[in-house]
Amino acid sequence: MMDLFLQTLANALIQSGTYALASSGLALAVGVLHIVNFAHGEFLMVGAFVAYWLSVLAGIDPIVSLVPAGAVMFAASGVIYQASIRRVLLAPELNALLLTFGIGITLQNLAVLAFGATPRVVHTAYQLTAVTVGPVSVGVAPLITLVVSVTLLAGMYAVLYRTGVGKSIRAVAQNRTGAHLVGLDVDRIYLLTFGIASALAAIAGSMVLVRIGASPHMGFGFVLKAFAIIVMAGLGNLTGVLWASLVLATAEAFVRTYVPGGGGAAEAVFFLLIFFTLVWRSWRTA
Amino acid sequence: MRWVGPAALCVALLVPLVPAGGYQQYVVQVATFVLINAAVALAWDIQARTGQLSLAPAAFFGLGAYAYTMAALRGVPLAVAFLLGPLVAGVVSLGLGIVTLRLQGLYFAIATLAFAEVVKVIFKELPLDLTGGAVGLTAPPLLGGHQTGLYYLGLGVFLVVVVASLAVRHSRLHYAFTAIRQGELTARVLGVRVVRTKLLAFVLSAALIGMVGAYATSRLFFVIPEDTFGIGLSVTALATAIFGGVYTTAGPVLGAVILRSLEEVLRLVLREGYLAVYGVILMLVILYLPGGLVSLWNRRSRDVAGGD
Repeated sequence: MMDLFLQTLANALIQSGTYALASSGLALAVGVLHIVNFAHGEFLMVGAFVAYWLSVLAGIDPIVSLVPAGAVMFAASGVIYQASIRRVLLAPELNALLLTFGIGITLQNLAVLAFGATPRVVHTAYQLTAVTVGPVSVGVAPLITLVVSVTLLAGMYAVLYRTGVGKSIRAVAQNRTGAHLVGLDVDRIYLLTFGIASALAAIAGSMVLVRIGASPHMGFGFVLKAFAIIVMAGLGNLTGVLWASLVLATAEAFVRTYVPGGGGAAEAVFFLLIFFTLVWRSWRTA
Repeated sequence: MRWVGPAALCVALLVPLVPAGGYQQYVVQVATFVLINAAVALAWDIQARTGQLSLAPAAFFGLGAYAYTMAALRGVPLAVAFLLGPLVAGVVSLGLGIVTLRLQGLYFAIATLAFAEVVKVIFKELPLDLTGGAVGLTAPPLLGGHQTGLYYLGLGVFLVVVVASLAVRHSRLHYAFTAIRQGELTARVLGVRVVRTKLLAFVLSAALIGMVGAYATSRLFFVIPEDTFGIGLSVTALATAIFGGVYTTAGPVLGAVILRSLEEVLRLVLREGYLAVYGVILMLVILYLPGGLVSLWNRRSRDVAGGD
């Protein structure tokens, strides 16, 4: 009984690592650029496929591939920013939402065209091994993804709060005009932030590849969950993302374990939480 | 411009009579799907005129579809089952509208999206003998499944939505909707009953989409949660309206004719992934033609006649 409880808790912790990584990018884009990037899930998908092909064609371990996956998406998002996002930053916020929606649908369907809709998986030696601590057994692969997520998140916080670039990013997030007045190149900061946010999504993608696999449609589920998380955290609140990831991953894991036939219900938990959080907040503050 | 509507209606009436030989059935089928897409996009647009971007059309479409199917399978007369479609969608949208009333812009969009996903999961997880679970149900066809008859019924459904759209456009509601879209606070100061008007737009739009859902199901003969409540439906609706031109009646219809025909061609060529077209069009229109195709026409007629 207790064993099952601890196991569920361990699963939740590991899942929350991936969620936090995927959501942090989204929160960063919302907090700094004030755009909600609906294509974030597809960026994650791109990362997963980059890692997949590197593994299949060059035999590179997907964990190592998080570097090229992140780099590819960093560069690609730069192009996307210059060609499109930049033009809608000052337009009504729904334009940006629809634009990124369009980017997401395009990427997703291009992936279907290029790779087919069938999910793909990679095989590594460590995927089959597990570490057992007392009653809890955790796969080595999920454990690695948790370590990577924690490291990267710590790195991101270090950059944001301990470096000059981070200070500039936070300044732009706080007040675009003010940052511009004191001589910061707002456009470049936006470009950089969007790049980092997108790279985080791609890295999360290569983590998902190791644990589950890659498919063109994988992004949508993740972006919805990432929305749930950043909405719970309060839009743009980065520290809140960590807590919200933990809460939502735990809720999901426990529904999955303890509710009969809970696989499908676990999906609904997320959306119910996002829905009620939004509604509750809107009525409380009004 | 006055002749365009009647002319288009004549063309629509004549579609089943086109002598297309072996392709006759196919032409009517595509025309039916154009009508369905146009009706959903147009109904979505009515609600969008208040400035609220709903991502839940799929939910109301699905509710209408399931209401019709589940009632019809339990022996309810088909005509009554059909009317249950808009009724159920309308009632549910009233509830959703009331709780999401205070959400603005982005938050409203995300809440409606979450709502649509929850409804989908609920229908998937309900007992099998009730909703058929993930496999869905077979729907009894209206009019005995007669294709040409169903086409004309579809035309009727479409015309109901067109009339609703035009009625809103040419009544005082038009000013209320526009005022709310451009600034809720200002609208309130001007004496617009904001809450009531927004709810009216939301429920009217949802009920119309529910009606289209019931009709589409009687034409497609089945409901499946993944498709009937699919996000693809919402994407198509808003991409169609935005491509053609939002806040107009002609825009979504024009958008549906072009996009759905294009989709049919691409479906034959690509078989899957053809939705990329919707994505690309959405991107290009937002970037280069925020008023949609209709704005091209209006720009020209303004040059010529000095007005739209």
